[in-house]
Amino acid sequence: MSAPLLDVDGLVIEFDTAAGRKRVVDGVSFSLAGGEVLGILGESGSGKTMSTLAVLGLIGGRPGVMGGHITWHDESGPIDLLGGLDKQLRPKAGKPTVKHDRRWARLVARRMRPLWGNAMTAVFQNPRHALDPLMSIGRQVEESVRLAHPGLDRAQVRAKAVEWLAKVQMNQPERVHSSYAHELSGGMCQRAMIAVALARQPRLLVADEPTTGLDTTVRAEIVALFKELLADRRRSMLYISHDIREVLYLADRIIVMRHGKVVETVEAAEVKAGRGVRHPYTASLLSAAELPVGEAA
Amino acid sequence: MAGSRAERIGLWLSGAVVAVVVLAGIAVLFIHYEPADAVDYDRQLVSPSWDHPLGTDGQGRDVAMRLLMGTRAFFLPGVMAAAIATVIGALAGAFSGYATGPARSAVLGVLQLVDTLPRLVFIILVCTILNPSIGLISVVAGFLFIPAIATVIRQKVETLGSEDYILAHVAHGFSTGRILLYHILWLQCRPQLIRQATFVFGYVLFVETALSYLGDYGVQEPDPSWGNMVAQTRELAGASAWPWAAPAVAIAVTIAAFLAFGNLLARRDEEAVR
Repeated sequence: MSAPLLDVDGLVIEFDTAAGRKRVVDGVSFSLAGGEVLGILGESGSGKTMSTLAVLGLIGGRPGVMGGHITWHDESGPIDLLGGLDKQLRPKAGKPTVKHDRRWARLVARRMRPLWGNAMTAVFQNPRHALDPLMSIGRQVEESVRLAHPGLDRAQVRAKAVEWLAKVQMNQPERVHSSYAHELSGGMCQRAMIAVALARQPRLLVADEPTTGLDTTVRAEIVALFKELLADRRRSMLYISHDIREVLYLADRIIVMRHGKVVETVEAAEVKAGRGVRHPYTASLLSAAELPVGEAA
Repeated sequence: MAGSRAERIGLWLSGAVVAVVVLAGIAVLFIHYEPADAVDYDRQLVSPSWDHPLGTDGQGRDVAMRLLMGTRAFFLPGVMAAAIATVIGALAGAFSGYATGPARSAVLGVLQLVDTLPRLVFIILVCTILNPSIGLISVVAGFLFIPAIATVIRQKVETLGSEDYILAHVAHGFSTGRILLYHILWLQCRPQLIRQATFVFGYVLFVETALSYLGDYGVQEPDPSWGNMVAQTRELAGASAWPWAAPAVAIAVTIAAFLAFGNLLARRDEEAVR
């Protein structure tokens, strides 16, 4: 296994609801190595999206991330993404006001700013909403290209953007370059979104249920596209899904989440071979998908 | 795409009026007009003719020429007020929608304070205290409209902050400045800014007209302004309609055209979003 890239240890996320404080992620721990694809599997409300949003530093307030450590292994050494933030909040801690919320968000943003885009970025669930409705697809990819390659001139940036649109297997990339999100199908929007994210050349790509809401054939195409784009093992991916087949196809390792906790971590190859599953919940997911459960309970 | 047929016609018609006013406003900067030399007591209250398309006023001055030169009184001041209000309003709105802490509270406090001032009364008050000039009026009017614009933009920034694509922009590492100024202000808030800018322009024309009509604070005779043209010919109402009707119609049509143009242009921009 190559060098570690990300360590999440004892992550706790809580939110205030009408019924009081609710813990949505309860002591989640996982790690990810360079070039590895980690699948996060679980039903809706299991805390998988919240865990990855915390990794991305996109849970913008308090209550929110209430405990745990997230360590990013940069080329220059490990960075504790949450370390010391509580201390900086302490003078006014204890009273969860809107003001308090915003201060936490600002502290996280300050720490995450150098990492967003080039260290990690994300592809979100609803590609139509995740693309700027008022900017052409090409210009959105160009914006990423310009940040990843600051020295390029206009024509080179455009050429690179078209190249990325071709890489995500977009038919007629030149035409898509000047299209807007509302003119594209869901699958094409997701391809465009992947191009915008990967054009930043991130070391970690977080894909949060990227095939939800797409047709079955388009889903298969998007999953195959991920497989191809990650085949060179130069970047890692956290692939969140409730579809065990997709996760098994893409991931090296899988963590199974339920009710905010990790119930099991398994090697994808083991599961495919009908081994390794010990938890009944994972077994039920496998049998629901008509996959061999193996030696599970 | 561009709305109903009526809207398209409205946009073209109001756009034509706006274009004429803008051209006139720019042209008068290059035309030399000496109001005192235009007086001709032999040609008082002449009816429209080829020489005087809108007739002459009580002092024999060409009404059409004074109407054209009258745009000088409000055109640049209107542009200046609209620029002050939209630029500062947009920046203040973006800042208060995004920032946290005491700086945000201070900006919101100042905006609320300015918002409580009754606009026309405050402009007359400033004119009473200071030396009244249309430049001063436009700056004050511009500042008085900052809170209205800032509030619209702040609400938009706060709403968009939780949109998926803004979150995606953050995750992709786009800078806060670029997201705020380009993605939110320029791309998303342009319709609101267009609407507000044309409204402020129309308001300055209204204020200039009102103050000139009232007499003491606006443009003073013999310099022409649409307001003092209407006021000047009050006593001539029965003798000839042209000297007062022409500027009165021009005021009404211009204000209506600017408001309609801003609204329809903004609406078209908004429809393009959907």
